[in-house]
Amino acid sequence: MLQILIQGMLLSGLYALIAVGFTLIFSIGRILNLGYGAYLMLGGYIYFWASQSIGLPKLVAVGMAMIFGVLMGIMKFQLIVKPLKGNHVAIEISTLILAVVLQAGVVFVFGDSSKILLPIVNGVVYVADAPVTYNMLIATVSSWVILLSLYTFIRTTDIGRAMQAVSMDTKGAAICGIEPDRVNMVTWALSGGLGALGGVFFASYTQLAPSMWVGPLIISVAVVIVGGIGSIIGTLIVAHIVGFMEVIVVSVFAPELRGVFTMGLIILVLVLRPQGLFGREEL
Amino acid sequence: MGLRWYHFTAWGLFAIGLALLPEIVSKGTLRTFIFANYLVIFAISWDLLSGRTGYISFGHPFLIGIGAYTSAILTKRFGIDVELAIPIAVIVTMIGGLIVLLPALRIRGSYFALVTLAFMELMYQLVQVIRPDLTGGTRGMSGIQTLTRGAVNGFYFSSFLMFVIAISSWFLLRTRIGTALTAIGLNESAVEGSGLSVTKLKMFAFMASAFVAGLGGAFYVHYLGSLAPRALFDINFVFTIIVAVLIGGASTIIGPIIGALFLTFLLEYLRPYLPGAERYFIYGGIALLLYMYQPKGIYALITSGWQMLQEKSVK
Repeated sequence: MLQILIQGMLLSGLYALIAVGFTLIFSIGRILNLGYGAYLMLGGYIYFWASQSIGLPKLVAVGMAMIFGVLMGIMKFQLIVKPLKGNHVAIEISTLILAVVLQAGVVFVFGDSSKILLPIVNGVVYVADAPVTYNMLIATVSSWVILLSLYTFIRTTDIGRAMQAVSMDTKGAAICGIEPDRVNMVTWALSGGLGALGGVFFASYTQLAPSMWVGPLIISVAVVIVGGIGSIIGTLIVAHIVGFMEVIVVSVFAPELRGVFTMGLIILVLVLRPQGLFGREEL
Repeated sequence: MGLRWYHFTAWGLFAIGLALLPEIVSKGTLRTFIFANYLVIFAISWDLLSGRTGYISFGHPFLIGIGAYTSAILTKRFGIDVELAIPIAVIVTMIGGLIVLLPALRIRGSYFALVTLAFMELMYQLVQVIRPDLTGGTRGMSGIQTLTRGAVNGFYFSSFLMFVIAISSWFLLRTRIGTALTAIGLNESAVEGSGLSVTKLKMFAFMASAFVAGLGGAFYVHYLGSLAPRALFDINFVFTIIVAVLIGGASTIIGPIIGALFLTFLLEYLRPYLPGAERYFIYGGIALLLYMYQPKGIYALITSGWQMLQEKSVK
């Protein structure tokens, strides 16, 4: 019981970190960035390359992964999202194509085989006979810290409030003198950086493989769809629902059924309550 | 239906070209053509559902997989004749099409695409867990009865299938139903306002798509003789189907044929230089550029080029 609680908390923290970048894009402009998983994949690989191939300090490698993610986000916005001018389906298809292209690029550079990432922080602590790696603990704690600071960033800073305004009403925001394009670009950059960071933790939790982007993408989709809200607090709540459900399914039923309930939840919620469990909110 | 003599001439030339092809090209190329033919069938199936109505399906392997698995299980595990197994597989796939239709009655756009993606992933996980003695679990199945032997027979068989499906879908989409389906893609409430039953039309499109998917999936598995869940319910497979349609030109039937042939041969010609999954880098790159530049695909490029030539010759 306690073990389920601990594992659930840890996994949910990781999921919240993964999903928050996806949520940001969804809350601004209701766009589903199906190439989101590629940030995670590239973040993980950049970290692997910097820390394990070149041997840079781990913190520097994490920073490099995040910077790369930010650049990716900006490029994606400038080259794909902006030219397609709000055609949602076209954006989804082209970001999906982009993700497959990037996957092939990673195979080209790093090879097809999966790689084990050394933990970012070594060590294990035992809580009630359950092993908890410091790595997961750090991921969960940093996830909470990042989500809370993101929340404060959006609530208090000028650019954060501009993001809120754009997510409520793009035209209204434009009339008030906010450039939606600029705000969108900042959001895409943030999303890319967060995705890359999530990727570093996700890769050290599972392993590094060219096809690793599909799993987190589906988790992010589940979180956004089930919650139905593009808000940060909502992301945190729903990430815990999804995370705990997975842990319970794995430990009570069978490990093979891990994803089944997540998929079932997506389908059920979309068919029965397309607006999501909690309805819509702004950021 | 706006039929002209050159339509029949074009289809006739296409059929003659297919019939003569084994005389011209090598056996290896023929095998590539077989794969292209099946990709054309899947692409047409996707196009019937998504190209016109605008209900983008990201989980088309869900339908193809139902067809393939049903036929494979029936023939291999229960010893039912292929002649009977394939029709049953098609019917089961059409029931699967009804399942996909359910969410389409309530949601559209991105959300529908996501539900279909979830359907595919769900199917992928369930196939491995539920009755692995029937489905073969993670490893899939092998030693499934094959229908044809040799490249030439396989080519004629798949070409015949592809040709029949292509020409009947082409006729279908030139009828008033095809027009109504296009109208759904443009503005669904307007179609409803003109007194047509949107639900019935959607059901028709989904059933037609599932029929083609089931047929394609069942014959494909009896061509390959094996199937594996990871190769079937794969996002790369979805990607190949969608890209084949989009690169050729959605909702034109000729588009998916051009797109599928183009892509299969592009992949094949890249093989000597890039043996593995790296090929998708170039392939996807071309697809992305083409899609960003001309979302209507190669077919639109050809027709606009043809019109420009005609205008020049008139002057």
